Amino acid sequence: MSNIEQTLAATKFDQAQTAASQHTPAPLGRRSLLAISWLAPAAIVIIWELLARAGWISPQVLPAPTKVVATAVKLATTDNLLNDLGVSLLRAASGFVVGASIGFALGTLVGFSRIAKAAIDRSVQMIRAIPFLAVLPLVIVWLGVGEAEKIFLVALGVTFPIYINTTLGIRQIDPKLIELGRVQGLSRLGLIRRIILPGALPSILTGVRYALATAWLALVVAETIGAQSGIGFLAMDAREFLRTDVIVLTIVIYALIGVAADAIARWLERRLLAWHPNYGGGR
Amino acid sequence: MTAHVAPPASSATNPAVVVSNLRRAYGARVVIDRLNLRIERGEFVALLGESGCGKTTLLRALAGLDPIQGGRIAAPRRPAVVFQEHRLLPWDSLWSNVSLGLQLPDARERAAAALAEVGLGDRLDDWPRNLSGGQAQRVALARALVQQPELLLLDEPFAALDALTRIRMHDLVRQLVANHRPGVLLVTHDVDEAIALADRILVMRDGAIAFEYREAGGSGSIERTVLLAELGVLVSHAAA
Repeated sequence: MSNIEQTLAATKFDQAQTAASQHTPAPLGRRSLLAISWLAPAAIVIIWELLARAGWISPQVLPAPTKVVATAVKLATTDNLLNDLGVSLLRAASGFVVGASIGFALGTLVGFSRIAKAAIDRSVQMIRAIPFLAVLPLVIVWLGVGEAEKIFLVALGVTFPIYINTTLGIRQIDPKLIELGRVQGLSRLGLIRRIILPGALPSILTGVRYALATAWLALVVAETIGAQSGIGFLAMDAREFLRTDVIVLTIVIYALIGVAADAIARWLERRLLAWHPNYGGGR
Repeated sequence: MTAHVAPPASSATNPAVVVSNLRRAYGARVVIDRLNLRIERGEFVALLGESGCGKTTLLRALAGLDPIQGGRIAAPRRPAVVFQEHRLLPWDSLWSNVSLGLQLPDARERAAAALAEVGLGDRLDDWPRNLSGGQAQRVALARALVQQPELLLLDEPFAALDALTRIRMHDLVRQLVANHRPGVLLVTHDVDEAIALADRILVMRDGAIAFEYREAGGSGSIERTVLLAELGVLVSHAAA
């Protein structure tokens, strides 16, 4: 099962869950269930805090949540936390832009032209079979452990999901709509702009959402190895001094940025796919 | 599109399309052979025939969607087409759908006028998914007419609609054609629809026009029997 299929399956599962929660009459009501869904993780954090304060968990193993927050405030005000965060975000963003551009360009080419498909598709599929993190030693040999290596790795992770979903989206367009475009006298460019790209957009955005996750994963790995700045560097640096609070903080930051990236992707879907019954919501 | 050649300027009348000696084949299988057809502007022609007789093939050739293997199709301009399915773009609002391919600064106004004409003037910014089948087909009609075609090709556009909606659509089409006066070619397998709408009814068989019936304002039942006989269906007068 490919990654895309997994993503699609996950999306369907989301929808199924939403549908189920809408149709089965819950004994507690929707609002109480929502409250429980937030109270449960809050309770875990509170228990963690209490155990840490009581001394049941050593601060070397897992510092109290309040300690992590205090560290965050301290690092943000006195140290370079914001700077490191900026460096990491910039790496992720530039890698994403490079990878997404290549993936989209190749995907569009292969989606439109049978010759391009014959020339490109098999090679790309073969490279895709390699887990992209496995090429890291090779990339370090090529590019060293500087910015280029990190951006390359992120770009590599982003290219394939975007490529595959773009070709898939273009190939899935109803040929009857393309025929209609010809009947209405659209130019080739008009056909691409009015029919092919909008039709492929749901699939492309699925690729974007998946690519955001791989971009983040690539960044964590790249920054863990030989970085002089960034969130990953902060974690590795803290490891040397056994600063568990800083390590936990970096993990939390990675998580928050992942959540934010997903929120942006969902927002894009809601905006750009307002016409689509699965995304735009009923009107 | 290469098949559409401008007719000679000396033509006395004003035909919407002139087809001469048309030949259309899929490999060795000849579907249309030496077919001649002329439709005047403002004339409503219905084309009947059994499934597989080549009537949709003819319409697609006239629309410039398929290449032809011989003969000539002379039309002054690109025809507009309404298909059996509405083929609305789900990602475009109704007015964007109607103005698809319309390269004019006042595209939205024209689309609005066309939508008003089919009774959907208050739904300009709505999505196609919020429409019923009949409404969607009305938008498809508006999209065809906003192009101000001289030839309008209708490929069984009402076949998927329920009986009551179909009757309402017949009235609407009759009215729209009376206002815009394009030449119309309606491909249908519904004899009653052809009788209700057309000035002239053609029956296609073996890749050519086998029978032609010109509306004379007579009683419907006789022409219906004749047409059905041409289509290979024998109906006794008592049953009809």
